[in-house]
Amino acid sequence: MNRQDKIRNFCIVAHIDHGKSTLADRLMEFTNTVAKRDMSEQMLDSMDIERERGITIKLTPACMKYKLDGEEYTLNLIDTPGHVDFSYEVSRSLAACEGAILVVDASQGVQAQTLANVYLALDANLEIIPVINKIDLPSADVLGTKKEIEDLIGIPCDDACEISAKTGLNIESVLKAVVKKVPAPKGNENTPLKALIFDSYYDSYKGAVSLVRIFDGKVKAGDEILFMQTNKTFIVTEVGIFTPQPNSVNELSAGDVGYIAASIKNVSDTKVGDTITLKNNPINKPLDGYKEATSVVFCGIFPLDGDKYQELNDALEKLKLNDASLHFTKETSLALGHGFRCGFLGLLHMEIITERLEREFNLDIITTAPSVEYKVYDNKGKVYDVTNPSEMPPMATITKMEEPIVKMEIITPKDYLGGIMDLCSDRRGVYHDMQYIDSNRTKLIYTMPLNEIVYDFFDKIKSISKGYASMDYELAGYQDSELVKLDILLNGEICDALSIIVHKDKAYQRGRTLCERLKTVIPRHLFEIPIQAVIGGKVIARETISAMRKDVLAKCYGGDVTRKRKLLEKQKEGKKRMRRLGSVELPSEAFVSILKLDD
Amino acid sequence: MSNDINKPMGLYVHIPFCSKKCDYCDFVSYSMDCKAQQLYLDALFTEIDSLKTKFYDRVFDSIFIGGGTPSIVYEGFIACLSRKIFSSFHFLDKTEFTIEVNPSSFTKEKFFEYVQAGVNRISVGVQCLDEKLLREHGRIQTMDNINETFKLLKNSEFPNVNSDVMIGLPGQSKKSIIKTINYLIKQNVKHISTYTLQIEKHTLLYSKLKKGKIKPVSDETMVDIYNKINKVLKKAGYFRYEISNYAKPGFECKHNLKYWDDDTSYLGLGVAAHSYIDGYRYYNTKRLDTYIDAMKEGKTAVYSKEYVSDAEHRTERIMLSLRTTKGLDLDKFKKDFNEDLLRTKSESIKKMLDMNMIEIENNFLRIKDDYFAVSNSIIVELI
Repeated sequence: MNRQDKIRNFCIVAHIDHGKSTLADRLMEFTNTVAKRDMSEQMLDSMDIERERGITIKLTPACMKYKLDGEEYTLNLIDTPGHVDFSYEVSRSLAACEGAILVVDASQGVQAQTLANVYLALDANLEIIPVINKIDLPSADVLGTKKEIEDLIGIPCDDACEISAKTGLNIESVLKAVVKKVPAPKGNENTPLKALIFDSYYDSYKGAVSLVRIFDGKVKAGDEILFMQTNKTFIVTEVGIFTPQPNSVNELSAGDVGYIAASIKNVSDTKVGDTITLKNNPINKPLDGYKEATSVVFCGIFPLDGDKYQELNDALEKLKLNDASLHFTKETSLALGHGFRCGFLGLLHMEIITERLEREFNLDIITTAPSVEYKVYDNKGKVYDVTNPSEMPPMATITKMEEPIVKMEIITPKDYLGGIMDLCSDRRGVYHDMQYIDSNRTKLIYTMPLNEIVYDFFDKIKSISKGYASMDYELAGYQDSELVKLDILLNGEICDALSIIVHKDKAYQRGRTLCERLKTVIPRHLFEIPIQAVIGGKVIARETISAMRKDVLAKCYGGDVTRKRKLLEKQKEGKKRMRRLGSVELPSEAFVSILKLDD
Repeated sequence: MSNDINKPMGLYVHIPFCSKKCDYCDFVSYSMDCKAQQLYLDALFTEIDSLKTKFYDRVFDSIFIGGGTPSIVYEGFIACLSRKIFSSFHFLDKTEFTIEVNPSSFTKEKFFEYVQAGVNRISVGVQCLDEKLLREHGRIQTMDNINETFKLLKNSEFPNVNSDVMIGLPGQSKKSIIKTINYLIKQNVKHISTYTLQIEKHTLLYSKLKKGKIKPVSDETMVDIYNKINKVLKKAGYFRYEISNYAKPGFECKHNLKYWDDDTSYLGLGVAAHSYIDGYRYYNTKRLDTYIDAMKEGKTAVYSKEYVSDAEHRTERIMLSLRTTKGLDLDKFKKDFNEDLLRTKSESIKKMLDMNMIEIENNFLRIKDDYFAVSNSIIVELI
């Protein structure tokens, strides 16, 4: 048997909660890759947020040894992120494999995201191994689930593995299937190096480390390598494999999955999808499928305490070390002071970054309403890419506007069909198709503007369907749209951080809700504060916060002095955290209120 | 920074007994019991003895016996206590000696006892004249009690009477408060304390509120009433000298003024009493049994003590002096804290001057009449 015949490179495709990480844990446990006593729940999810939410964002590969029929096999598991924001990363991970385990929860059936990722895997010509999980649950419907997979995806399920990753039931059947069904890599060790970067991370000692699949050739420490997309060269300092901790080896050759460290300072030099070759003996053409990570959702991030600007800057720099898809530039807002305009792959990505800033860096931040990238044409024939409402050219000069749209797929039990269709049409969705998956579930296809889903669409879908519906979307270009910039005036002054770009049909409703919401979160001042929603100088909604009449009239004797003093000191601290806009003081909740616009 | 030791001190004695706790009260009080009162008086004596040498070189010019309900303790208690106080500390000739009384337990005998003991100012806890409302909030006095109390004071030509009036009792109308004020004017009281009801945690009223049994009075209504009272009293010859206190000229409460002067020391005796002495604040234990035991065992009654730092002192100066209509002495502030407030807070001061919230006269900064009700917001701008 040749060396590569004993290697299997595979990944796991699953919907959130269907047990991908748990299965990965069991596989490592079974193959003694990780001793049971060292297992923390879901070993591969290395970030706290992932573990807490039960979703995997960052991929960590694992190299397992498994003996079957007297032969020892090397099984490289490449974990994939299960969220639509990261579909490009998923596609690169899939490109590094020959096979994929499709995990489906026997009690829930196939979900929208599973489908999306399975299609990606099929596109990448991977061998798919269906695995029915959670068969120990009383609500498990193994036969129904199998039929669904056959009908929806067209994969035969006669010999699908039936397991419980939680209890460890039938785990070995999965390993056997991987060895038997996933094709061995067929690279050529003797041709020049061809390696695909499917992820990278930053290590404070080794620098930016590339996670690679070697297709052809070999690489070892001391080699001078060339990154074909960035056209940069580095000297390899270390190569290794993941067990799942990084362990250095002498050499990586065709078929292997591992890492390459080369004292690279910047993670943006190790771009996912790039091809690594040897500088002195390069291949002609890089691997297909490379894309620049582009931002889809944008928002402003400002420190709650203006003095923490530098700290926020440092924190974003640190996050960027590990996450080349995070973009940020300086932004100055009248209301919020200095901060950053940040671009994300999607909503989840945005949420992860903001949460990490708060948790890992202990920063209190204010985020402004998420925006998408609009194309604005003015009467001089200029086109602007507007991601920030404050960059919008004056309404009078605009001749045309376009907004990004997505193709949305939603799978829902039929009970919630009506509610979900109402939501979609309320969000300016255009109905395309409805397919019956089985007697109970339906797949809906809509195109809808991205800006209608960046707020709370996912939460809404979940709440309408009591958590049973799932959704997935992909960008589907731009369409003409009648958009307006809605400004909020507080005491006559525009609060730039509260401006949003919105479809004109929705402007009135948004303006009204926003004014009402702001009225409840802005504290009374010593003077009256008008809150106005304005479009191009025209007031469309107004609320008034009446002046404060009383904040003290109580007695104050000796024993009350300390208590009163502390109360006032606390008030003063509270005031310090407020944002000032002219003479109006705004609590951070004012900026959050814009994020939750539904009644 | 420390207090001015040349300023005469005030002496406070807390009488923690009540026949029944009012629903809104969060002061420390225990129900009446003769034996407990005797033990308490003994304990007060012990506390006085333990402190008198410390204050041998200090002079006092005010005594305030508060509670609780000082008029509820047995006859002779106050006489006995006063003798002990006068023999233990040095008092100036013009010492103001106040006792709080509740009309339901205030008798002719007690009145004579107080006068004999040296009491020259009596504070009558009237609160409100609406009997139904009084009952609803757990006050025990009746209209007859109140009338008799004032008859007694009037007939004996007692010169210096204060009355407490409460604003904002749930269910209380503006009309009924003004009626109360007019009644007190007619009784020729020299001093009126009006304070708005604060619904404090751990009171019966608070739990009623939480259960939705009562509705709190809105800020707008309170301010309305407050402004109306101000007008009525002004017309009757009273002037406001502090947020919640009015007096005929010359009848300001000397003792209370010390609380709003961060330079003056005062000594508090008894359960839950607090002292402010030479830059330290002391808080006595709030528990009656703990206090009595501590005194028996020769231990201190002080439960906690804190030093008022310069920064805190600065805040207290602003906070306390802006409660008074005299206002904040900017020159003294500059001298004491080495800070020119007009410069360090110029932006806020200018804004508030423009809005006519404050005024500066002879280098005293004070809050304008119409804005006393929002003084917290004004103070926060300056601290």
